Amino acid sequence: MTATAERPTTTIFRRPSSTKGLWSWITTVDHKRIGIMYGYAAFTFFIIGGMEALLLRIQLSQANGEFLTAGAYNALFTMHGTTMIFLFVMPASAALMNYMLPLLIGARDVAFPRLNALSWWIFFFGGIFLYSTFIFGTSAPPVGVDGLGGIDGNLAPGGGPGSFNFLADSPDGGWFGYQPNAGPLYSPGTAMDYWALGLQIIGLASLVSSVNFLVTVLNLRAKGMRLLRMPVFAWMTTITSFLLLFSLPIIAVALFMVTFDRQFGSLFFAAQAGGDVILWQHLFWLFGHPEVYILILPAMGIVSEILPTFSRKPLFGYSAVVFAGAAIAFLGFGVWAHHMFASGITPVAQAAFGLATMTIAIPTGIKIFNWLGTMWMGRIRLSTPMLFAIGFVAMFTIGGLSGVTHAVVPSDWQQTDTYYIVAHFHYVIFGGAVFGLFGGLYYWFPKLTGRLMNERLGKVHFWLMLVGFNLTFGPMHWLGLQGMVRRTWKYAPETNLEPWNVAVTIGAFIIAFSILIFMINWFTSRRRGEASGLDPWDARTIEWMSPNPSPEYNFAVPPVVTSLDHFWHLKYDEDAEGRAVRKEDGDQIVSDIDHEQLNPASPIHLPNPSYFPFFFALGLPLMFYGVIYHKQLWGKGLIVVGLIIALAAVIGWAIEPLEEPHGDDEEEDEIPPSPPSAVLPASGGEMEPVDD
Amino acid sequence: MSSPEHIHHPTPAQYWKIAVVLAVLTAVEVAIYYIHRDFDLGNFNTVLLIALAALKFVIVIGWYMHLRFENRMLSRFFTGGFILACALYTIILSALGAIALTR
Amino acid sequence: MTELIHEADLDHAHPEHEGTGVEDRKLGMWLFLSSEFLFFGALISNYLLYSQRPGFEGVYPAEIYDIPFTSVSSFVLLMSSLTMVLAHNAQTREDANGARTWLFATAALGAVFLAGQVFEFTEFIVEFDMKLSTNPAASAFYLLTGFHGTHVAIGVIMLLSLWGISRRRGGLSDRQGLNLELVGLYWHFVDIIWIIIFTVVYLLSEPPV
Repeated sequence: MTATAERPTTTIFRRPSSTKGLWSWITTVDHKRIGIMYGYAAFTFFIIGGMEALLLRIQLSQANGEFLTAGAYNALFTMHGTTMIFLFVMPASAALMNYMLPLLIGARDVAFPRLNALSWWIFFFGGIFLYSTFIFGTSAPPVGVDGLGGIDGNLAPGGGPGSFNFLADSPDGGWFGYQPNAGPLYSPGTAMDYWALGLQIIGLASLVSSVNFLVTVLNLRAKGMRLLRMPVFAWMTTITSFLLLFSLPIIAVALFMVTFDRQFGSLFFAAQAGGDVILWQHLFWLFGHPEVYILILPAMGIVSEILPTFSRKPLFGYSAVVFAGAAIAFLGFGVWAHHMFASGITPVAQAAFGLATMTIAIPTGIKIFNWLGTMWMGRIRLSTPMLFAIGFVAMFTIGGLSGVTHAVVPSDWQQTDTYYIVAHFHYVIFGGAVFGLFGGLYYWFPKLTGRLMNERLGKVHFWLMLVGFNLTFGPMHWLGLQGMVRRTWKYAPETNLEPWNVAVTIGAFIIAFSILIFMINWFTSRRRGEASGLDPWDARTIEWMSPNPSPEYNFAVPPVVTSLDHFWHLKYDEDAEGRAVRKEDGDQIVSDIDHEQLNPASPIHLPNPSYFPFFFALGLPLMFYGVIYHKQLWGKGLIVVGLIIALAAVIGWAIEPLEEPHGDDEEEDEIPPSPPSAVLPASGGEMEPVDD
Repeated sequence: MSSPEHIHHPTPAQYWKIAVVLAVLTAVEVAIYYIHRDFDLGNFNTVLLIALAALKFVIVIGWYMHLRFENRMLSRFFTGGFILACALYTIILSALGAIALTR
Repeated sequence: MTELIHEADLDHAHPEHEGTGVEDRKLGMWLFLSSEFLFFGALISNYLLYSQRPGFEGVYPAEIYDIPFTSVSSFVLLMSSLTMVLAHNAQTREDANGARTWLFATAALGAVFLAGQVFEFTEFIVEFDMKLSTNPAASAFYLLTGFHGTHVAIGVIMLLSLWGISRRRGGLSDRQGLNLELVGLYWHFVDIIWIIIFTVVYLLSEPPV
């Protein structure tokens, strides 16, 4: 029970002090709570993006389908891509990185807890801003064009029964916003401004996060946790953060350029005035390619944690896996124009980028073989996390192979803008990143809740999802090679594409059903799942030396690390042949750790909650709404209001006192130790109280 | 916690001297600009001006930003970002036809 | 009873760590500045792309530069780096008055630089009719120098904030002293970007024939 005692009024408003209720979530700087919020937001967007996909698939399940107008179709694939990449996979990775990174390296929190909260709130408001386009956005035919003669344009009424033409007012320039199509001349109205400015806000959140994670990894590791003793997921978080750090500024400039073109009359991509539209493609993909490695590396890190645990063998070639990840990131900066092979770049450029792209297969292959080597001769347990990890390896390999075919330039000319490409990236992003993320959720669920997810439902989820996924995206390979064109709302019956498209759509609904199973599993396991105890998976890394569910302070006593897989070596010796033999007192060791970590002996310093991150983040979308409507007076007013709020928040943040006075007479912040059976969540755990 | 003592801390006098050097370099740059206008130094103009700018760049970073005396890791990150930017944008400018990297 | 103590800044509360020996916030600032090369690099490349591409309507930036004027404002910004480093030096010697003086001087020089930019842009727009929308080269020029100017303005605000905090509290704490050093790093960075811009955009840039 926490007393909300009086605090000295050193700032204008009293320092937040609650640990329960909405306000405690708004002011939290606890990386675990921030991770939870990221997770729920990301999953919500996953559902929304999935529904967008289902609408697309309904349209495509029929030749000459009339379910969606062309305008609605364009808007849906734009928002599906934008949502899945920026509002689902990235924040879902952020959720796991946020929750787990300090635990993986033996730290209390990240280096800059308030900045961490800021990242989350910027993302949160950015996502709302972007999606408010569905309410406020407008879209119009290209300037000077009244209708496109016979073909339903953006605003033409019609479409089949129950058509979703009202969606046609939303961003429809693709998630890649190619110019000049997505510029002021061909996409007048405000929808693409919401897209550009929304991404701008969200990009800022990730940039701030990346600095935070890098300083955390460099400076906050527990004693003995040398860099090459860190769990692979911590390494992948580090590498991903470097990718974000150096790629986000590029897209920021590009988005500013497009915003200025659309709002302020600049001519960066104005083809009619001599602007270079290929410049947009270069800048976009210079960010966009590192972006795909940002999407996949965290999941690769998760898989590198799960495979050794469930094979009961160390990761094969730990250093190679780490350095391969770094190599992938480094090379990933040099291949962006492989997205532009068909856009008129010179043969020399095509050859150079094609060659560079092929080299990425090398470190990727190293990782894949090392994962296989980890499983080889291991004593494998096929629990749900392991199923997803193995699924990752298989599906990602398939996606990687189609990727190699893209690297061959003439072959890519045939594949570009067909469904073959759609197949490729869904195999690597969905079959790869998403499978990996689900694996991580099942694996680390006990840390969040102190419980295990239901195994049976988990397996049903996995198999249904695997089948549905392959049924959805497998046929896209040959549909593409047969000529089915991307980003086009209908195909003619003579193309004979319909039968497999029907299969694809069925697959998509199977995926949706499997997600429903997952959601049921999640919500029932949170309340009634089997108690996990400290070490449900007999794991190897030190995040499992912190009680489940995680106490607010993570570790009462941070471990002193003596090797890679430190936790494993506490529990296991090696026999003469190098096989792991559990120590006689292994179980006692585990329960001793549990007891020690649940009963801190001395005061623990934790970061103070704060509301300034929330308010600073609130100022940004207000400013950007103002930018979109800056021609009106109230738009200008919004810019000023947003700026003032942001500025006030920053100043308040800067002068927030270093320490709240603490002493014997202060009652706040005392939290009684949790009971030894870690079934009841402490304040660092889940949002709702547990029914017992 | 106070900042750890740096092993080397330039004195104010040294900072002033550096400022003078920077000012002189700037003056030389402007002088070269005018000389080129009147007497056409050709490519030499570009080389000289870039070299002078680079010198100022390094001086401000090394002494004013203190990077010369800091942990090597900071130099690596900073230089890394710089080199990455130069490499990537050079390739883009070449691909867009603004500079000629290949025949 | 377990005591959980919440505080704003844990810099001094790390238990024994593996680390780099560089303070968290300083490391963070250096990382951020490293990324800014990618930001300004894009803007500078964009200018290089368009500034010498022939065939645009309207006037090119390189046709109307006032080199003497810009040289003076470059000198002003360069000297502000001197005052900045003197402010930091005063802070390390715990000379609160000196630190305040040099902080204010830096902010003042920055403001003078900005005033010069505003004057220069006004000249360009009014006298030579070169606006953001004149041609891609003009757009590129304004975006680059505009963003640089915005960075300077943010710097001036941070400098004045530190100056104000120091005045109110009679000096800067250790924590704020580190912030002064970090604002200094930011300020110098903005200066070195201008060093590049002055040379590459003003001195070396020639309009297409």
